[in-house]
Amino acid sequence: MRDAHRVVITGLGIVSPLGIGWRDNWGAALAGRSATRLITRFDTSAYACKIACEVEGFDPADFELDRRAIRRMDRASQFAVAAAKLAVEDAGITIEDGGVRAGTVISTGNGASETFEENHRALLERGPDRASPLMVPMTIVNMSAGHVSMQLGVRGPSACIVTACASGNHGIGEAAAIIRRGAADVMIAGGTEAGVTPYCMAGLDATRALSRRNDAPERASRPFDVDRDGFVSAEGAGVLVLESLEHALDRGAEIVCELRGYGASSDAYHLTEPDPSGRWQVAAMRAALERGDLEASEVDYVNAHGTSTPAGDPVEIGAIRQLVGDERATRLMVSSTKSMHGHGMGAAGGFEAVLAALAVREDRVPPTINVDALDEACAGVDHVLGTPRDARVDVALSNSFGFGGHNAVLAFSKLRDE
Amino acid sequence: MSTTGRVRVVMTGIGVACPLGIGREEMWRSVVAGRSGAGLITLFDTSDSEVRIACEVDGFDPTDFIDRKAARRMDRYAQLAVAAARLAVSDAGLPIDNDGAGIGAIIGNGGSGTISREEQHRIMLERGPDRVSPFAIPLSVANMGAGQVSIELGLRGPVTAMCTACAAGTDAIGTAAEVIRRGDARSMLAGGGDTLISPYFVAGFDAMRVLSHRNDDPAGAARPFDQDRDGFLVGEAGAVVVLERLDDAVARGAGIICEVAGYGASSDGYHLTDPDPSGAPQARAVQAALDDAGIAPGDVDHVNAHGGASQPGDPAEVRMLQIVLGEEVAARVAVSATKSMHGHCMGATGALEAAITGLAIRESILPPTINLHTVDPACAGVDHVANVARPADIRVALSASYGLGGHNSVLALTRYANGAS
Repeated sequence: MRDAHRVVITGLGIVSPLGIGWRDNWGAALAGRSATRLITRFDTSAYACKIACEVEGFDPADFELDRRAIRRMDRASQFAVAAAKLAVEDAGITIEDGGVRAGTVISTGNGASETFEENHRALLERGPDRASPLMVPMTIVNMSAGHVSMQLGVRGPSACIVTACASGNHGIGEAAAIIRRGAADVMIAGGTEAGVTPYCMAGLDATRALSRRNDAPERASRPFDVDRDGFVSAEGAGVLVLESLEHALDRGAEIVCELRGYGASSDAYHLTEPDPSGRWQVAAMRAALERGDLEASEVDYVNAHGTSTPAGDPVEIGAIRQLVGDERATRLMVSSTKSMHGHGMGAAGGFEAVLAALAVREDRVPPTINVDALDEACAGVDHVLGTPRDARVDVALSNSFGFGGHNAVLAFSKLRDE
Repeated sequence: MSTTGRVRVVMTGIGVACPLGIGREEMWRSVVAGRSGAGLITLFDTSDSEVRIACEVDGFDPTDFIDRKAARRMDRYAQLAVAAARLAVSDAGLPIDNDGAGIGAIIGNGGSGTISREEQHRIMLERGPDRVSPFAIPLSVANMGAGQVSIELGLRGPVTAMCTACAAGTDAIGTAAEVIRRGDARSMLAGGGDTLISPYFVAGFDAMRVLSHRNDDPAGAARPFDQDRDGFLVGEAGAVVVLERLDDAVARGAGIICEVAGYGASSDGYHLTDPDPSGAPQARAVQAALDDAGIAPGDVDHVNAHGGASQPGDPAEVRMLQIVLGEEVAARVAVSATKSMHGHCMGATGALEAAITGLAIRESILPPTINLHTVDPACAGVDHVANVARPADIRVALSASYGLGGHNSVLALTRYANGAS
């Protein structure tokens, strides 16, 4: 039988600018804390944008990785392995039988940019005969999945799906599909990014997508606010343990929530701008609900893509209103946690899946911070602003929309007996 | 749907811009003729490089497929992907209705937009961060092959880039078939676009000692399974196939190339660069593809091998086939490594090889492994299709890819004969 398996989330692992582990992240998100700071990872004196959300206090050696293994991983892979280990520990799962029924999908946006930049600079300065045998394996975007497979001993399907800012959601959605069709019982799935680097920041700033509010970093990421001026780039990884419901029940796992559906569509519109009609974002949300056998009216909370760009935010709110209707939309809770952890690019879907799953489990909605004056063009939904909201969350959506027009939506719900 | 309720998926179009030619027919003529697509590298100055050979796509003009302004905003890898996608849609005669909602794309990639990324990074180092192009990121990222295919062709179903290094094209086709089976699209463009013929990747691969150094004999350099093999040739390609539901293909009278009957994937979880020498993870991927297709090992007629021409890799692959299929079956299975002709096209290679395998089934011709003059005794035990194409009745074929990072991916392709597949 195909598609015979329900998929549940049993473990949360996150290394983000808000903290390391889901407890620190959840605490910071409920406290409405901003993680945006002046960049410390490189000298920004020649940069117009000098702010980002960096992961502070991260030491890969804290995750039972030996020095040699660490040296062979780009920072993006270090984040991914750390988050995967945290997720597996949180799930209390033992990888059995050589890991043949467990797989991984670790997505990314830019991949190992720091490794590329260092090696490319060395190549330009010293010539090809000094090239390192590790530069290719450390640079290619799939290597975080490879490292998770090696470090955790998972030997089922292993992949990396790249869709820019939507990578994490597509990765989690496809990982769930692998369980649904029976090709694995357990998947370690999420996204990673380590793009606070000279090249990535120069390139992103050149697209005019970044906030340049260098004088007030903590106020820079302000989705839906009338004075928003772009997104704040973030690094880190967010990883889930997904299991078939039977597998989770058999081992007596604690279930965070059910991953009900995954919907994907494409704008086919523009390299970096969303289709202003929002209709393909609606199509992706609708597909996630249909696949999860859910009605739009059942959605309690949307963790929005909400990057804080002038063009993107109103399109998404418009799409949410189209999905549920204007009347229902006024009672639909919406927040963008990117206001706090920044835009994790390939990790964004992973960060936000962790927070959306916690919202469903805890019946608390984390806020959008920094909204001093709501942009009229973003009105029409129940924005959760400034402080968290205690409210029943049976069904939540997490939206991600990427450069290139990739739309991916995940639908979560409390586990129901059916 | 078949009686088991499983949606059957068929390949109805092939588009390639590859070292063996542009378009399905030119490529297939080259395969049947056993032509090498290798030559001296022209894409960058190799004067300080020890490796000066590769398999480039000769005569590729992106403006044959894409308007000039759009083409300038694409890395070469995305141009190759878009060209291949257009050729595939045309080959399939696939109608893309006004909004393209039922059609998606999965485009494999291994090296991201490395040519553009190297160029833009060099500009940043030499002239400062404010001189980087506004298109630097869209040119550099690995998803823009997929994104540009959707934009250029108007596809609004699920669109992603599959990035599993050398296995990406195979995973793209396998996953796209699953997207159709689970009802998320009616048809999918699946394949890869990649070029790693750049200073960074050639230097990096050469530092790993995996590339052939036979600079004085490019056409004879790629020699999988031969005792004198000395590594692979880096290649580039766009290779895209059209997949659709069998029912739809039959209803619209499409020419069916083959059925995508099964897909299996596994990972080594073993080492950064070396494959697990036991071959067990690769064997699990082959077995999973056969199980998915409901095919017994004894029914396999042909394998398009990964055949990376590495010293340890080629014998391990042959041994693995002997384990999964049994020695007796393996001895009569026709094995070809078409990388001997088109080189290692990385994120596109699995798709190119699946396309060649589909055509082998359709045309009843086994493609050759060229440059196979003396089979390495360690690679013996299968029926190598050495040097010349051979007519054969092929009902079941496997196309196998094994990627850096331990990704193992296998497609089971079968002949479609009026519903009696």
